[in-house]
Amino acid sequence: MNIKQIVGVVVFLLLVFIAVPWAIASSGRWDFYYTLTSVALLSIASAGVWLTFYIGRINIGQGAYALAGGYVSAVLIMQVGMNFWFTIPLAGIFCALLSVLIGVPILRLRGVYFAMVTLVLTEVMRLAALALPITNGAKGITSIPLPQELSLFGLTLIPDFSTLENPKLAFYFAAVSIMVICYAVLWRIVNSRLGHLCRSLQQNEELSASIGVHTAYLRVLAYSISSFFGGIAGAMFVAISQSIYPSSFQVADSINFMLNCFLGGLGYVFGPMLGTLVLYFGWDLLFTTGRYQLLIYSSLLIALILLLPNGILSIFSRKEKRS
Amino acid sequence: MSTILEVDGITKKYGGLVAVNNVSFDVTEGEILSVIGPNGAGKSTLFKLISSFVRATSGTVNFKGDRISNLTPHTVARKGVVRTFQETTIFRSMTVRENVVVSHHLRSKASLLGFFFGSNTARADEEAFGRSADEIIEFLGLESISNEVASNLPQGHLRALGMAIGLATDPAILLLDEPFAGMNHDETMRMVNLVRSLRDERGITVLLVEHDMPAVMKISDRIVVINFGEKIAEGSPAEIQSNEKVIEAYLGSDDDEIGL
Amino acid sequence: MEQILANGLYLGAQYALIALGLTLIFSLMNVLNFAHGQMYVFGGFVTYTVVAQLGLPFVVGLFVSAMTLAVMGAFIEKFLFRPVIKKSTREESTMLLAAGIAFFLDAVILLIFGEKQRGVPKIIDGVLNWDFRIIMPYDRILIGCLAVAMIIAFILFMQYSKTGRAMRALAQDRVAAQLMGVEVDRYSMIGFALGAMLAGLVGGLLVTITGVNLGMGGPTSIKAFLMIMIGGAGVISGAIAGGFILGMMESIGLTALSSYGDITYLVIFATLMVFLAIRPQGLMGKPWG
Repeated sequence: MNIKQIVGVVVFLLLVFIAVPWAIASSGRWDFYYTLTSVALLSIASAGVWLTFYIGRINIGQGAYALAGGYVSAVLIMQVGMNFWFTIPLAGIFCALLSVLIGVPILRLRGVYFAMVTLVLTEVMRLAALALPITNGAKGITSIPLPQELSLFGLTLIPDFSTLENPKLAFYFAAVSIMVICYAVLWRIVNSRLGHLCRSLQQNEELSASIGVHTAYLRVLAYSISSFFGGIAGAMFVAISQSIYPSSFQVADSINFMLNCFLGGLGYVFGPMLGTLVLYFGWDLLFTTGRYQLLIYSSLLIALILLLPNGILSIFSRKEKRS
Repeated sequence: MSTILEVDGITKKYGGLVAVNNVSFDVTEGEILSVIGPNGAGKSTLFKLISSFVRATSGTVNFKGDRISNLTPHTVARKGVVRTFQETTIFRSMTVRENVVVSHHLRSKASLLGFFFGSNTARADEEAFGRSADEIIEFLGLESISNEVASNLPQGHLRALGMAIGLATDPAILLLDEPFAGMNHDETMRMVNLVRSLRDERGITVLLVEHDMPAVMKISDRIVVINFGEKIAEGSPAEIQSNEKVIEAYLGSDDDEIGL
Repeated sequence: MEQILANGLYLGAQYALIALGLTLIFSLMNVLNFAHGQMYVFGGFVTYTVVAQLGLPFVVGLFVSAMTLAVMGAFIEKFLFRPVIKKSTREESTMLLAAGIAFFLDAVILLIFGEKQRGVPKIIDGVLNWDFRIIMPYDRILIGCLAVAMIIAFILFMQYSKTGRAMRALAQDRVAAQLMGVEVDRYSMIGFALGAMLAGLVGGLLVTITGVNLGMGGPTSIKAFLMIMIGGAGVISGAIAGGFILGMMESIGLTALSSYGDITYLVIFATLMVFLAIRPQGLMGKPWG
């Protein structure tokens, strides 16, 4: 990392952990916490989708893993009585394993074929949640308690959320912290050999195989990391909404995750974060326009694509002219 | 000198069509062997069979005694049999140097997790790859364009870059797919010298598939000729040039780029 | 058994017509049109307006719907897809645009036609009852036959007209077609218009039976994707086969699996995934589209 990057990271951390809470406290817009917490969580799921883009696959199935992760967390809390904080990694691991099973056959598909299958996958997961006994069908799982205390050797690491005076703030900090960790991991992947190999896969799979890259393994690996992100985002969401239904994550959500990546820019690690912020916040801010909300939102979206088809962050690399 | 690659009765059928029929030949370590034949003779399929990019219907390919046919391409590459591609198969949006560095994958000692956490082995690997990449780039005379994005390069440089990618894997035998296609006389001569130096300076055995006859005659130690999927001749350039069957095969075809 | 077959054929004919439009657009421009379902719903609402609100004959409604969608498709191609395809570095950017258009059409439908389910009065009354082996209302039979007739007309058009042949050349090899003198821009636009028009026609046909509502767009798109995956994306025969196969599967599933609850689509999806794992290019597609 060079100086400029370190400064950037520090500024970002100060912004999300200090400036945002301060701004919200002084403006009194406490509802923004919910919005920003959602943005943080959705951008984790989007980061996963972005990673599958990075190996050259269009993933419109992240909603399936977010839903699966949510159910894993909900079932573990309600039926096993597990502490919420332990269910997060378990939800991620469950989704990663599930994605290996699903990914081995479908990752052989390319282009729109893969895209369409993943789109269908979201629908499969919703229908499975409706049909399986453990997920309690359309009624879903409700009245999930708030996260409990997490302590190590009697030392409280995370307090019990139900005792807090402001759980909204606590959720915000939790979500943003997980987001920061996820993006740090993503950044490191992209800038290490693993990322370089993913890029080689994205650009030419045959050539990649000819230089000895185990392409099938690498694809499944990237896809399972992607699904891990989807799973933990889903699990966190359950804690906030204290409920989960088969319709909690649908095809529209999967499409949004993909849009977030496109909008931010597929060539930039932080593209999905920015894309999520713009799309989600934009939607929220337009709430005041009432029945015209969707019309204005979609028109702006189309205008943005026409102006910057390679993502918002591509304005910064305008100078590097392509052939 | 010992046999490094052994093609034994390899056959490929597509439905009822026989693309390659029972072809056998050996490649000796340290030689430059060319497979030639008129257009549509099955050269390209044979090439893909050897590099395991397509599965053989029957027959085997052995490398140093191990069977390498019907494996996956990356396992074959791992054993040291590496192919290049025709024309523009490169990592388009990477720079020349990034193309070569990433292709050092097979030489890495650290695991992917090691690379993720930046272990000492991983850092040593990265440094070694960088040095080796610079050396390969210099060897192929690409220093001046080392930081250009590959998609912006002209045809001739792309061919050299393809070769650099192949070299980065540290192959025992390099399979070149029509290295002279679409080149003028000067470019061809430069490429001939380059291929020679692969063998002379780096000790790499070269198997190439080509239909540019003059270049093949100049460069090869031995030549295998195939037509309609079958081997019709094998021998030194002089022997091939005077072989009745070969002349007939080439005269019989519509392809008049014989140059004999 | 006969009843299941008849239902399957009736559903399949409509499905095939939807899939044809989607696959046509895909084959010409490599665009996966997420807005296809919304175009279909829009067509349904146009027909509803003409027939139920203005009191004009059904045929007029169908015609107006087809024309509206054709013009809309042409504009979408010319002013949205074409510039984005020219400017973007990755082909997939068109997906973002297609999704944006889907949202936009949803918004327009909401503002113009509202949220309510709409239908038009039956065009013919009566029910065919063949010995209780097949029971089917006459209007369904009529709509099924109309759909089949349109499919045949479309195939003939693609096969024998100058425009159709040009579009097939374009679909097969864009560069070669360009060299042969096919005006790529013009035929892409015609193709998109034609694809949208097909969506509008099916919408018009179906509004007489099931009616339309705002929420139908997305699920219809997903079904259309399924069909072209089964048959192979970008292949006309594949779209037709995919449409009929899905129609048949749905019809069989609804009968055979009814005792297990609403799992027909779960089974169809699972079967499809296994099928695609074995044959990634679908029944008739070329490998890797």
